[in-house]
This record gives sequence, structure tokens and C-alpha cells, in this order.
Amino acid sequence: MATRGPRLELAVGAFLVLALGSLLVLAIASTNGKFGFSRDSYALTARFTNLGQLRPNAPVKIGGVTIGRVAKIDLDPVKFDSIVTLAIDERFNDIPIDTSAGILTGGLLGESYIGLQPGGDVEVFKPGEEIAYTTPAVDLIQMVGKYMFGGGNSPTPAAPDNAHPAPAATPAPEEGTTP
Amino acid sequence: MALTDALRSVGRGGLFSLSVLRASKPTADFFAELVREIYKIGARSLPIIAVGGAFVGLSLTLLGFRALETYGASNQVSVLIGLGLYRELAPVLTALLFVGRAGSSIAAELGLMRATDQITALALMAIDPVAKAVAPRFWAAVLTVPLLVGFFATFAIAASWFQAVQVLGIDNGMFWQTMKDAVDFRDDFVPAFVKAAVFGGTAALVASYVGYHAEPTIEGTSVATTRAVVNASLLVLMFNFVLSAFLFR
Repeated sequence: MATRGPRLELAVGAFLVLALGSLLVLAIASTNGKFGFSRDSYALTARFTNLGQLRPNAPVKIGGVTIGRVAKIDLDPVKFDSIVTLAIDERFNDIPIDTSAGILTGGLLGESYIGLQPGGDVEVFKPGEEIAYTTPAVDLIQMVGKYMFGGGNSPTPAAPDNAHPAPAATPAPEEGTTP
Repeated sequence: MALTDALRSVGRGGLFSLSVLRASKPTADFFAELVREIYKIGARSLPIIAVGGAFVGLSLTLLGFRALETYGASNQVSVLIGLGLYRELAPVLTALLFVGRAGSSIAAELGLMRATDQITALALMAIDPVAKAVAPRFWAAVLTVPLLVGFFATFAIAASWFQAVQVLGIDNGMFWQTMKDAVDFRDDFVPAFVKAAVFGGTAALVASYVGYHAEPTIEGTSVATTRAVVNASLLVLMFNFVLSAFLFR
């Protein structure tokens, strides 16, 4: 058993180089490329009455471009609002203070994300501040239910006229899923 | 008593693992053995890993295409490929192939060393048989199984690209971009290799434990080989669930 000849070393060397090379190619070609080091970000919070399908790590976008992630989702134990903490990339630290945040969905059944609609104020958000203007998630099933059954089972008479999705912040009864 | 027997064998396995860790000293002899073992159980496993990965990629693409067609989302099939491979399939299938390819040979080698009294001879010459014969195999497995997972995933994704883009007609850019969007480097990609290292260590430990403690007969060697493959495969599947539960919440 001659321990290691040059051919063995060559074979092992080729194996290791090939293996590490393929790992590198895989990491670059098939992942989102967020390698270890976390880029500097700062936190903003926003309160929503309904989060829909929003989950931690969902993207935060302005005009379709991702500028951050949802870092944490919490519930206010008194008001029962959900408090969403956003980690925004340090590069985008000039977001006007009258910016509004909404929970949107990519496509009909796609992932939820937070869309920011920049305002025009000269004053900008400082880290840790709260976004004042928010629109909650739109529950598609509830909306369909309202259209189909003329207000569903909510006793408020104004419900059928609620055609636009924007003020859908109704504390609507959580039924409408199974008629 | 079946229960005390089972507990005792778990205890013996644990003590054996400890003795392997204690015997791992970076001496020149250890590295010489390590290189040999990396070649024997790592580089020589490449063909089976490559072919296995390629065919898994092909069939997974067909499956995903069929399932996603229902929702008109068949061009998102690479999401399934990427996530499925990195999270579960590449580590588990590589480990199972590795158990069959290398685990069996580790158990048979050590079993034959036991049967031909080589282990006793090493001990008589004041050479720790665990340090000489087991530790290099263990570390070679811990090092090479992650690398083999890389090969498995490379071939699986390449084959899947062929099937999806060339055969099923999914757009090339769509294929790569949806995969990139779906696979997170830290949450999906890195865990695959953590899992692989654990599986490699498990497979090598089980195989060498069973071989090392084999009955010193020809039949004992064959029993040890069978047991190594069965036990190591089952442990890999169980550990996979445990690791998945902890790594992906």
C-alpha cells in the first residue's frame, strides 16, 4: 500500500477543484446571491389592520424595485393592529415622510409584498419611525363574496357600494370563505 | 431485554463516535490517509452521483411541469427544481447513494480488517486502530459529501435545464431568473451543505462502527455490510427530517 503517489494527488486535486468550482457556479447561477454579509439597513415600522398573506422576509418595493425586506411582524396587544418592521436598504434613506405603504399581491395568486408610494414631502424618514399612511391587504375572497351576495353577511347597508378596494379596511366578519 | 440492548448499542455507538473524534489528530500520517480516502470514497463516487443527479433532475422537471400546468404556471418549474433540490433531494439522495457506494465499502474493509486480525495487529504495534483506520474515513466523508452534493445539484440542474428549456419549451431566461428569485443563499443553499456534512459524518460513523465491531468471520463481514447500508440509510432519512425541522421553519 504505497500511501500516495503523484497520480492519487492529481486525482484528489482535480476532484477538489472541480467540486469547489461547481459550488461556486451553483451559488452564482442558481441562488439570489445574498452571500452572508448583510448589507446595512435601517428599520421603519408600519401598522396595518389586516396583513393578508404577508410573511417575514417578504420584499418591500417602490415602483416594483425591491428596496428592503419585512424584518418582523408583531401584533399590538392593545389595539390589535399588526406592527410590521421593515428593514430598508441603507442606500434608500431619503424616503419622504408622507410616503404611504400598502400590502399588495403580485398577480392574482402571487406573493404578498409591501409597496411604498413615495410622497412629496421634503422631510424624510429617520430610522425607527413609523409610516403613517397605510392600506391593509385586500382580501380577494371577501371582495368576491361582497359582490356576489350583495354585502355578504355584514349588517352595514353601505357595503355593496364599497366597490373600490382601497377602503377595504372593514373589520368584516371572518366568514365569507364557505358560503 | 430488547430495550436495554437497544440502549446499550446506542451508547456504544456514541462512545465509538467520541473515540473517533478523540483519535483525530492532524498528523502527517492522518493527512496521507485522508487524501487516500477522499480519493476512494469521494472522487470515485463521482460517476454514480453525476448520473443519479442528472436523472433526478430530468424526472423532477417532468413531475413539476405536470403539476404546475394545472395552474398555468409551468414556466415556474425551476422554482420547484431549485428549492426541492437544495432543501431535500440533493443532500438526501447524495447521502443515500454515498451510503450504498462508500458506506458499504467502509464497512466491508473494516470488517475484513477485523476478520483478518489486522485491527488487533495495529493495536499490538501500539498504533491506535481507530486513529489509523476510522478517523480518516470519517473526516473524508464529512468533507466530500457536501462536495458531492454540489455535483449532484449541478448535474440535476443542468439536466433539468435541458428537459425544461430544450424539450418542454420553457423560456431560458425565465428558467434561470425564477430559480434565482426563489432560492435564497442563506436559507436554502447553505443548509443543503450543512445537511450534507451531517449525513456524510453519519454514514461514515455508522459504517465504520458496524464494520469495526463485526464478527471476525467472513459471514460477519457480509452482515456488517448489510447492516451498515440499512442503518445508515435509515439514520440519514431520520436526521433529514430533524434537520429540516430545525433549519427551515
